[in-house]
Amino acid sequence: MSSFISLSKVSKSYRRAGEVLKVLDAIDIDISEQDFVALMGPSGSGKTTILNLIGGLDTPDSGTVTVGGRTVSEMSARALPGWRARNVGFVFQSFNLIPVLTAFENVLLPLQLTPLSARERKEQANFALEVVGLTDRGSHRPSQLSGGEEQRVAIARAIATDPEVIIADEPTGDLDRISADSVLDLLRRLNNELDKTILMVTHDPAAAEFARRQLHLDKGVLIEDSAGSQAEDAR
Amino acid sequence: MKLPLRLALRHLLAGWVRNGLTVMALSIALFLFCFLISVVRSLDLAIDAAASNRLVTQSAVSLFIDLPLSYQGKIESIDGVEGTTKFQWFGGYYREPANFFAQFGIDHERFFDLYEGDIEISEGPAGVTGPAARTAVIEALAADRRACVLGEGLRSRFEKTDFEVGDTFPVIPTIFQKFDGSAWEFIIVGFYRPKRSNVDATTMYFRHDYLEESLEGGIAAGPEGAGVYMVNVADGSDPERVSSDIDALFENGPQATMTTSEAAFQAIFASMLGNVPLFLGTLGGAVLFAVLFSVINTMLIAARQRRREAGILQALGFSPSTSAWLLVFEGVLISLIGGGLGLLLAGGSAPAMAEALGTSIPNYAVDGATIIQGILLALLMGILAGAAAGLPMVRLQPTEALRSEG
Repeated sequence: MSSFISLSKVSKSYRRAGEVLKVLDAIDIDISEQDFVALMGPSGSGKTTILNLIGGLDTPDSGTVTVGGRTVSEMSARALPGWRARNVGFVFQSFNLIPVLTAFENVLLPLQLTPLSARERKEQANFALEVVGLTDRGSHRPSQLSGGEEQRVAIARAIATDPEVIIADEPTGDLDRISADSVLDLLRRLNNELDKTILMVTHDPAAAEFARRQLHLDKGVLIEDSAGSQAEDAR
Repeated sequence: MKLPLRLALRHLLAGWVRNGLTVMALSIALFLFCFLISVVRSLDLAIDAAASNRLVTQSAVSLFIDLPLSYQGKIESIDGVEGTTKFQWFGGYYREPANFFAQFGIDHERFFDLYEGDIEISEGPAGVTGPAARTAVIEALAADRRACVLGEGLRSRFEKTDFEVGDTFPVIPTIFQKFDGSAWEFIIVGFYRPKRSNVDATTMYFRHDYLEESLEGGIAAGPEGAGVYMVNVADGSDPERVSSDIDALFENGPQATMTTSEAAFQAIFASMLGNVPLFLGTLGGAVLFAVLFSVINTMLIAARQRRREAGILQALGFSPSTSAWLLVFEGVLISLIGGGLGLLLAGGSAPAMAEALGTSIPNYAVDGATIIQGILLALLMGILAGAAAGLPMVRLQPTEALRSEG
């Protein structure tokens, strides 16, 4: 299968307290379309930085990042938000729902950037909530939902605009085992049934087992590339 | 309503304590601004509305020095003078000092002719109204030296609101003290209402000769003479020439005079309080500035709490300026609600204020221009506060914003 997401010789450094901290060091990664990849490694190994670069939230110091044929690393700051709205859905560890909006309104939010009519947006938001099994919780505020439910609303928000790529940064980090499994199962279904390309950062080996492929990083370098259990199942 | 705007409204409601307090501060500031501007405008209006054919002759030394009574006849002998009346400030109050109001001793047989364009008699003796009331009041004034005419505004100003024609009206003096320590007693023979905006509706006019005779008779003590002479200039005569002639006549004393137009006199009277417009303008400006900082502070706190939300919105594909615009919208909304309440309060309280300020500022009113000025100021404050909080959002990196606590 051809490469859908590609990082070529990507380096990234941050300046912290006057010191330059090299997070990624000329890393090369290729990810196929509709793949489910788990990024693993110790803190500071560059996992989240890779997600931010692929999602267009950050830019590399050198090298190129390509997603679906578009060179994201060369896009202007003005063009990036629009590209993100069309192509990437984000799922965060701490859910990042907007507390003053209901679950339904949170899902509706990214749809404001689409050319859909108001009725179509509502239909799409309802569909996304249906996919995550929360149609009956649409009118609830995030504070009225459990952690697992909040993360499922966040996933519904991520898929509402039907992006090709879902980026999940430790989506189960704040959840108990049962809720975590439910969320991971949902991500696997999105990958299997809706053909979403999923990149997930996790510290949890059990969570990584839900992915088709596992990438292990250390000090900004890819040290291991292995198949996950889902890949075994698929075989 | 568009979802992002709904988001701003929800934030507004979520922070109702902080935003409510800011709204209250704004409403008080805008009320104060409106009040002060209206006072300045009313003072200007009083000057503008002054009669163009009327002159005021006062002592060249000070308004507080009386002119000799003998001057009146001499002034009337000058070519172009249609008529004159004394105006003597009495400076008393009704029952207690808080009920202070204006009283003037006037020449009752001339006053109503000279002020025909300024006031009209609304009620005379025995309940007479209409044109007949004026004649009846003049006759009643001539018949009893204690007679007085009250402005209709006094009926609602004091505790006793049922003043009627024929009632005794006691006034406690501050200048013309009676030797027996008693109050001066006047008899109400009629009520007047102003015909022009610069005329106070809460003044009492009484016979100057009642005062004069009381002083001469040793009943009371106080300065003898006339505070000022109001001089009406005949049609076709040049007020400036008449004014110069009057002052030239008394150039060598015993009291030099200063004759000015009624408008100039009003301006001088206002300036005795200092540069009132500048003082009030500075005060209003200072209050608005203080509240502007308070609104900016509210919006900066809101912006600090919205940093993570700004990161989320950017991750979802909204541009960095979206969060900034939402803050501007929120700032404008807070300012317009607060400002609107203040302006409503100013407009709604205007009649009561006008009554309370009656003697000092007879034509107090909150006009449309002041309201529009207030709305524009509130809008500007909202934009400034929203922009101060929103601009840093435009430069905020999404990764940095997503790491924020707020």
